[in-house]
Amino acid sequence: MLAIAALTVATVPAQALNPNMGSDPGITASTIKLGITSPLTGIASPGYNKIPGAMKAYFDYVNTNGGVNGRKITLVSKDDQYIPTTAVAKANELILRDKVFALVGTLGTASTKALTASTQLSKRGIPSLFVNTGWSGFADPKAYPTTFSILPSYQMEAKIMAKYVKETYAGKKIALIYQDDDFGRDALAGFKTAGLTFDTYIPYASGSQSLPATGAGWISKLKTAGTEVTVLFGVTSASTAALANAYGAGFKTQWVLGSVGGDATTIAATNKAYVPLLYGAKGFSFAPAPTDTTDEYIKLFQGIYAAAQPTQTFDNNVVAGMSNAFLAVQALKAAGANLTRASLMKVIETKGSTFASPFLTPLGYSATAHIGATGYWVGTYGPTGALTPDGGKYTVYTTDSGTGPVVLSTYTRPAMPAKGL
Amino acid sequence: MKISLKSRIVSALAVTALAGTVVVGAPTAANAAPQCATASYVTQCAGVGADGAPYTFIAAANFNGTVFVYSHGVRPAIDIPATLAPVGPYTKTNAAEPGPLAISGDLTVINTLVAAGYGVAGSGFSRQGVNTTEALAANKELIATFKEKFPTTKTVIAWGQSLGGMHTQLLAERNPELVDGVILACPAANPSDALIAYFGDALWGFKALFDPTIKVGGYSTDPATRAAEQYANIGKVLTVLGKLSAGLSSGAWPDTASPAGKALQAAGIPSRSALLTVGLMAGVSTRSKHVDGTSGPTGAAETYPLAVAPAVAVLENMGATLNYGTLLIADGELLAGGKVYDNSKTDYAARVAADADIYSFALSGNSAVAGIIGALAATPRETADAAAVAKIAPLIGLTGKITKPTIIFQAESEEFVPASIVQWYIDGYAQQYAAAKMKAMADAKKSRSYVTPTNNLVVLWAKTAATYSKFTAAGSPDLSATQGAGTGHCNWTAAQWLAAANLMTTTLANGKFPLGGKITTTARKVGFSYDTKFRVPLFKSLQ
Repeated sequence: MLAIAALTVATVPAQALNPNMGSDPGITASTIKLGITSPLTGIASPGYNKIPGAMKAYFDYVNTNGGVNGRKITLVSKDDQYIPTTAVAKANELILRDKVFALVGTLGTASTKALTASTQLSKRGIPSLFVNTGWSGFADPKAYPTTFSILPSYQMEAKIMAKYVKETYAGKKIALIYQDDDFGRDALAGFKTAGLTFDTYIPYASGSQSLPATGAGWISKLKTAGTEVTVLFGVTSASTAALANAYGAGFKTQWVLGSVGGDATTIAATNKAYVPLLYGAKGFSFAPAPTDTTDEYIKLFQGIYAAAQPTQTFDNNVVAGMSNAFLAVQALKAAGANLTRASLMKVIETKGSTFASPFLTPLGYSATAHIGATGYWVGTYGPTGALTPDGGKYTVYTTDSGTGPVVLSTYTRPAMPAKGL
Repeated sequence: MKISLKSRIVSALAVTALAGTVVVGAPTAANAAPQCATASYVTQCAGVGADGAPYTFIAAANFNGTVFVYSHGVRPAIDIPATLAPVGPYTKTNAAEPGPLAISGDLTVINTLVAAGYGVAGSGFSRQGVNTTEALAANKELIATFKEKFPTTKTVIAWGQSLGGMHTQLLAERNPELVDGVILACPAANPSDALIAYFGDALWGFKALFDPTIKVGGYSTDPATRAAEQYANIGKVLTVLGKLSAGLSSGAWPDTASPAGKALQAAGIPSRSALLTVGLMAGVSTRSKHVDGTSGPTGAAETYPLAVAPAVAVLENMGATLNYGTLLIADGELLAGGKVYDNSKTDYAARVAADADIYSFALSGNSAVAGIIGALAATPRETADAAAVAKIAPLIGLTGKITKPTIIFQAESEEFVPASIVQWYIDGYAQQYAAAKMKAMADAKKSRSYVTPTNNLVVLWAKTAATYSKFTAAGSPDLSATQGAGTGHCNWTAAQWLAAANLMTTTLANGKFPLGGKITTTARKVGFSYDTKFRVPLFKSLQ
């Protein structure tokens, strides 16, 4: 017989009373199972395919140091080839077959939107931690209550880029190449908010950049327009299409690359010959440079990764993957021993802004915003593709995804927790 | 009694007898007593109900008191000429179907059930098309007639597929005293007119972009004229589908395209992007019998699924959606007395917003989607007749309430009656069960004893495999290849039907469904998945 007095029936959600709903899967007294779907093969895999391995390296490091609240973390990784419909299938596998506790680090706006909608993560209360996309919609807990971003939003990035472009290239003929989906739409909104208009707009449908004629068409339009500065807000395969075709056509312009498309390590993984084409281009980042061995996080991550993946190069994507895993561990730790999906999401909302992180900007998590990092620093690419901060130090700008101003950040990153745990 | 394909009980006799069932002549007078013949211990009866509906029922000497009453799927209300292949040729028939698959000549299910001691019964209904009123009356009468012939009948299991699934649920809702268990296979349902919107949105999208003479509604009341209008519409739809198919690679538009469609063509937007947009507006599945949406031919393994496959899948699914949509909307208008489809307030931009990124390459980017949605403004919206709409709910409306043990089985990627219907059942039952649990808790406060409500719903999914597409040497989907699991419409095997029947009889014998592990094992053996956390999207109009 139940203790009737203890029943709080009025507060029990209908879904919880569904006879077919049980306790949270993917967690035992000694284990937590997480899942990621990302492009391990295919057009977007070069570079990005290192992220799951980097995550696993950090999780293994945590496990060898006792795990999180006594639980060891396992990571199940699936290959979605950057095809949204495949991402849906893989997410379903993770949820239904592998029975993961939460998704972590899914990659790409379209894939993440597709799997979030199709598998109905929100209705099922499944956390989707620290998605690797800056689409601002994922930071809205009303629309995506179980999804948490890790990157600054593309609107933030565009606003910071706009400030830089307006201040640096006033009076020049400026063009924008952008992906014609929510990724690019976010950027357009940011540029508009910041008051930056372009002389030439060149949209492209995601995927079409892989067709040989696409990049050549862009350069033709840029030349015709007499473009002096070209802002590219797209993926790395779009960057390589633009840079290679510009080089081939002998067309010179000042490239200003968004953080996604300016990912030199991904470009190098595609074709090392493209890397020198980045030389002199402007780029943006929110994490310490992977070559910055003075940074305590970079130093820690390098050591962990070298032990786990001794034949692999330590680069931006490794930093991204390990930062992702680091933040996941901070959240799991903060949720405590009585871990549930609901308690994990709650703690990110209530304490996430105070989590330790490798990023050089504040974290923006709250009950009304599921946003991670909130700013960027500006740098210039060298001949080897290394992005070094302009002025020799990280000058970080921060803003929001709305109409707030772009301001110089006064944030000082707290010291790393002991042993990076 | 366990149902088995290997049952040794009078099985051989039953098969022999069934093979000779055609010799039983049905009475021609309505409401006359059924004519029965018994051979090799198996009795088959045929008769005509009060409204002229032919029926058949069969039971053997070892009848165990349980009868399965079957409701067949949709049959058009008009003949379809062979010139409209593959929709036709079809000659309207009211022939009785006593069980699943019998219409295709496969008597495995019927024979196995009869051999195991069960009765089977089914009507052909006195009217085809949207025939819920006739089906309800026929099923009630059939149950009474069967019980009269076999007075030891104790248990009635109602089952049906497609439109017959709607009939079956309607019987359980309106006359629960007649039914003990319910099996719904790929069931039709029209929650808040969502199924009408599904068909209508697809037709209207085709009208707006590919052929402005396509009809969405407003059919004539004169029978001959109405039939001619339906034939013409099906012909136009088939023609447009053929031209879209021919233009999949090149992006060419049908020469019948509307001015707005031609403007899109001039702007360089390929017809496949417009086709996909229409599919997404309506909620047509982007996976089909031969297109998995994730595979590509050699040399285009990555670009094909991104750029082309979703549109090809929509194209393959659209045949059933548009042609049966034509037939059902026309018949629905006849019964309701006016236009029943209304898109006067539909926000198509919102309908496709969430899909625009997912299918970005195939849609040619957000700008193209905006252009396609903008082009729709040139076509007047459809406004339904309020009086006719008011008649729809009494006619085909279901509450979805489940009061008897119910098994539903459904393909994830349906081409005709979307899987959204089953999600509607699942969500509705979750609320119903939650309310029952609340009540049990409230009751327990008085009695000091809590009794958990019994679960009455099990859903078995035919999930769509991740990859199954085959390609020809030319790089096109091979439409002659075996269709993918979990696709198409009501593509069930005898083993799947019998597994559901077996699960239901076991449940009724024990008073509750078996434990989840047992159901999972049963499901897996016949290619189903029992997964209580699996969800599919709701109808676009209900999202």
